Amino acid sequence: MKLSPLLVPFVLLFLGGLTLAVSQSLGFWLPLPYDGGMFDAYTALLDPHLLESVGLSLYVALVSALVSVSVGAMLAYAVWRLPDTLERASVVYKVPLILPHIAVAFIVLVFWTKSGLFSSVAYHLGLLNTPAEFPSVLYGNYGLGMILAYTYKEVPFMVILGYAVLKRVSPRVVVAAKMLGAGEVYTFSHVVLPHMYRVMHVVFIILFLYAFGAFDIPFLLGESSPGMLSVEVFNLYFRRDLANRPVAMAVLVCMFLFSLAFIVLYTKLASSLEQKERKL
Amino acid sequence: MFFQVKDLVKSYGGKTVLDRVGFEVDRGEIVSIIGPSGVGKTTLLNIIAGLDQPDSGRLHFSEPPDKEHPVIMVFQDYVLFPNLTVFENVAFGLKVRKMPAAEVRQRVMDILSYFQLEEKCGLYPNQLSAGQRQRVAIARAMVVNPAMLLLDEPFANLDRNLKMQTAEFIRDTQKEFGVTTISVTHDLEEAFVMSDRVGLILNGRLVQYDRASEVYGNPTSMEAARFLGPMNVVPPHMREFMDMEAGVAEDFKVDEEMHVRPEALRMVREEGAPGLVAEMAFAGHYTKYRVLLGDTAFVIFDRRTGIRVGDRVRLKIVDSSGFGED
Repeated sequence: MKLSPLLVPFVLLFLGGLTLAVSQSLGFWLPLPYDGGMFDAYTALLDPHLLESVGLSLYVALVSALVSVSVGAMLAYAVWRLPDTLERASVVYKVPLILPHIAVAFIVLVFWTKSGLFSSVAYHLGLLNTPAEFPSVLYGNYGLGMILAYTYKEVPFMVILGYAVLKRVSPRVVVAAKMLGAGEVYTFSHVVLPHMYRVMHVVFIILFLYAFGAFDIPFLLGESSPGMLSVEVFNLYFRRDLANRPVAMAVLVCMFLFSLAFIVLYTKLASSLEQKERKL
Repeated sequence: MFFQVKDLVKSYGGKTVLDRVGFEVDRGEIVSIIGPSGVGKTTLLNIIAGLDQPDSGRLHFSEPPDKEHPVIMVFQDYVLFPNLTVFENVAFGLKVRKMPAAEVRQRVMDILSYFQLEEKCGLYPNQLSAGQRQRVAIARAMVVNPAMLLLDEPFANLDRNLKMQTAEFIRDTQKEFGVTTISVTHDLEEAFVMSDRVGLILNGRLVQYDRASEVYGNPTSMEAARFLGPMNVVPPHMREFMDMEAGVAEDFKVDEEMHVRPEALRMVREEGAPGLVAEMAFAGHYTKYRVLLGDTAFVIFDRRTGIRVGDRVRLKIVDSSGFGED
């Protein structure tokens, strides 16, 4: 009963939404009469265009989460090593955390389009004959715009959590490692990084699944074909035929199931790796 | 001379922490720098370890340490790598030297065996006692054959009954491995037991640097003497009330005050004697007495003598050990 203020919205919004999505994907509770088979929408997911979209979503999510976690862990180490006097100034790394994703998307647009800041600077430095020669970073079929936006937004997330872990570690472990002859890379990888493994796994799951399913950044920075899954779902649901709604819902249900399976499998893998490490 | 510290000066915020500190250490020697807390001992160790820079002065090694034979400091809280097992901690310095795995295993197990830690090799630091953690830290340092070993307050985190045992263990280990060692500590007895030479720092200055018995028995100032333990001062006019063991009197100049450690005094009960036992306190392996001789109070450490508070006693300087001893 005490949890009811939390449970009521959860049941109504989340479970209600999920039930509706599953039902509509199977052809029930639709605004239009449905005459297809119960699993037609799921069969339609094997469409090559949608599969490409799945591939792109996985690729963007994987690269942006990997880069964010790796760069964030290194920056957390760098902030941790700063002298106390500079530690306060390092608060600047938190700025992207307070920016909404959509603002980050605009920042990426301002900097990286063919008419953006970097293109202008390169042109004025004489590196380009015309701004249009600037490489198509955002729409070059590699999802780079989205990866840049996610990385910019999410690196500080890893920094803040990694730094919180390192604050509990004696900085003298680094001194001890170096006295024993370890170089910077060895010290980081063997002495410092293991402290952050657990939080890195958690951050990776969150960032991967967020980038896999989020809509705003792909909507602004993504290519149209193939689009990210979230944009495809949006198009299927709102922009095309109402008859596509079951397919849109089937995609959402599959994304949900994939996310669940990903969390379970990744957590198991991470904990078995951890146990293996501790058994050495 | 293997290592020399010369005229080292270090200040923090205008306060001089080390004031022209200088001493020499011979190869294979173990030296302890003692002094009260906050006197600059750890700063000195940090400078020797290269973790801090002096304002002036210099360090000189007859054979400068290098990457293969570095100066290694064992911190007060040991700073073991918590994510690595005992074996991995000790192997760390060998692995970064890219030594073949079989040789690493052999050398680590040899040293763990010497340190009686073989059975603990698979445990993590948080599964060890403080004494075991310290032995792992020393083993981790020793295994790379360092040019010099620095020990920061090696007894600070140990139970009282472990301290002396550890001091003896460190001394034996140091002699076995022959690694030149400098320790800083405020645990006097342990420092005396373990060290070839002892340096006493007071107010940032190295006021004495000599063999332990010399530092204890022949302190250079009353401040130094008092840091090392109680010291009785016998003014010249009191001398006539003191008995002296044969041969002891020659150690004192006639017209100067005598400085006598409590354990160099004995009491003899005698009716009408000038001394009055004012206090006594049992302190384990000795009893501490406070005896009034006129208006001067003397501290005496003695075993159980049957003497009680209120008894009249004569005081006798039984020997000159611990005082000007050669």
